[in-house]
Amino acid sequence: MKVLLVEDNIDLAQNIKGYLDKEGYVVESVGTYETAIKKLAGFDYDVVLLDIMLPDGNGLEILQYLKRHTPDTGVLISSAKNALDDRIQGLELGADDYLSKPFHLSELNARIKAIYRRRQLSGANEMTLNEISINTDTLDVRVNDNLLDLTRKEYELLLFFIVNKNRVLTKQSIAEHLWGDYMDSMDSFDFVYQHIKNLRKKITAAGGRDYIQTMYGSGYKFNTNT
Amino acid sequence: MKLILKITILYLFISLLVFALGGIITFEVIKREVDLEQQRFLKERLNSAIRMIERRNLDKPFKRDKISILPLAVLEEETEIIYSDTIVMHSTLQRMEPHVKLDVIKNVKGRSYKISMFDLIVEEDDIAEGVQESLIKMYILLTVVVLILSGVASFFLLKPFNHTLQIIKNFRLSNNEDVKFSKSSTSEFNKLNIFLGEMTLKMRRDYLAMKEFTENASHEMQTPLTIASGKLEMLLNADNLTDEQMSMIVSAQDSIRRLSKMNKSLSLLTKIENKEFESKDEVNLSAKLEQQIFDFEELINLKSIKLHKDITGNVKLKIDDVLCNILLTNLLQNAVRHNFEEGEIYVNLTTDELSITNTGNPLLTDPDVLFDRFKKGNQSAESIGLGLAIVKKICDANGFEVDYIYANGKHKLTVSFQHKPQ
Repeated sequence: MKVLLVEDNIDLAQNIKGYLDKEGYVVESVGTYETAIKKLAGFDYDVVLLDIMLPDGNGLEILQYLKRHTPDTGVLISSAKNALDDRIQGLELGADDYLSKPFHLSELNARIKAIYRRRQLSGANEMTLNEISINTDTLDVRVNDNLLDLTRKEYELLLFFIVNKNRVLTKQSIAEHLWGDYMDSMDSFDFVYQHIKNLRKKITAAGGRDYIQTMYGSGYKFNTNT
Repeated sequence: MKLILKITILYLFISLLVFALGGIITFEVIKREVDLEQQRFLKERLNSAIRMIERRNLDKPFKRDKISILPLAVLEEETEIIYSDTIVMHSTLQRMEPHVKLDVIKNVKGRSYKISMFDLIVEEDDIAEGVQESLIKMYILLTVVVLILSGVASFFLLKPFNHTLQIIKNFRLSNNEDVKFSKSSTSEFNKLNIFLGEMTLKMRRDYLAMKEFTENASHEMQTPLTIASGKLEMLLNADNLTDEQMSMIVSAQDSIRRLSKMNKSLSLLTKIENKEFESKDEVNLSAKLEQQIFDFEELINLKSIKLHKDITGNVKLKIDDVLCNILLTNLLQNAVRHNFEEGEIYVNLTTDELSITNTGNPLLTDPDVLFDRFKKGNQSAESIGLGLAIVKKICDANGFEVDYIYANGKHKLTVSFQHKPQ
């Protein structure tokens, strides 16, 4: 997957690039409107991660450029502005998704993957990891060809884990992924625990390996090396 | 009371005083003139009386109506004419009337006569009545004319002022149009307009500066927070970390999230205060509430909370769509967060009010400060203590009233929609 990162803050760009590189994406990073347009004119990208506020222009204009020239490219807008206007405007202009700063890198990764999956024409709705296979169209999850009966949240949790496999996911980032912004009470961690317990049970019952590893005091890891 | 009416009444009151004083003066002047005339008249009669004495060689007292001549026994020195007032029975009116009286001693043909006569041309109370009547009629005329004129004058004179008022009434800080006042021929109004023009300009400039600052503060802070949070996330995936180190990283990350959330909430509060959510859409509150409850259902179930809802359908409200969502989210979140395991939530919506009741521990703080910023009922580290402050702000901005009561172990928050004039 080729990703263009349009972000004027070098520190942040490096941070994101570092995380996505490990996912095996080809990530290129630019910091201005000018260079972004140049890159987009010369190369094709699967997903563009777009910061709205750029020193020499508005990210929304890049979005418009993309919609005109390469409508197949997925666009994820990231903005520090909490302004709901930006969000609505960005989505109206055809952005696939919107992520407001600050975000968890695992969340960013999950969103990029989701956009990429949605935009692939065929075959990409099937994700396989060892004995687990997920159909992202029908939301079916199979372990060794046994269909798992997962709730919507358990499905989302599993997908989030697989997309961010072998990384430590904090309870906070999981809770936010599942319930959004207003889920910030202490209780949510118990809910995360309950969901993980159920998911783990269902996978192992179907003969799958126990991938989900509890990291004491920090969170969980979907460890494929167990 | 209108200014022009006040001025008119004051003016009429002053004119009343002036008219009263004027009446006394007029009365005095007329009376003086009448008296002088009377004296001249008496003097003429005195001359004819003297002629009569000469003709008749009067030697015995002569007494007629209004005149008496008394021949004196000895020759006395002539005196000056003395006028005085006296009260005599008026022959035709048959009542006592003040008259002018003349007394004099005259020597005619070597003999002294004491002559006194009195008369009356115009009665005193006739003068008073006349003056009174004419002044009252004039005063009534003046009142009518002044009232009519003040109405007409205020319409024309105060037209620019009313125009200015209208403009100020329609003035909105968040509106970007410049305030334009029309020029007036009255210098006071022009001064007022210039002053108001400068003031609104300054207000708008300050407002924009503040808005920019709020946005910048909020915006510029998010990027470094994202970086810090991202670095910590990378660090979390480093090898050979001890559990203790990992929980320190997670706790640092949590603090960053909280900081960011606090920042966003505060900037939201400022935005509501700055009236940046002025759009009043018609929102179907019932549908929105159902949707929000649906979104919260999982959390409610996870905490084994029993939800009772009684929602009147199609309750419509004029409120900004975004604010309405925030309002409902905050209220529901509040009811879930400060609830027990296996507690209860009651959601009631009527056309007049929305009330959300939840079981929970009694407040440790004063209920009066519940809606203040950073006043938390319990110091749970998770909530930042701005939720209800935002609820209150949203209610204030839309003319709703929000009330809190605690009874029978239940917290009840009620939002009344009755629009009060703002």
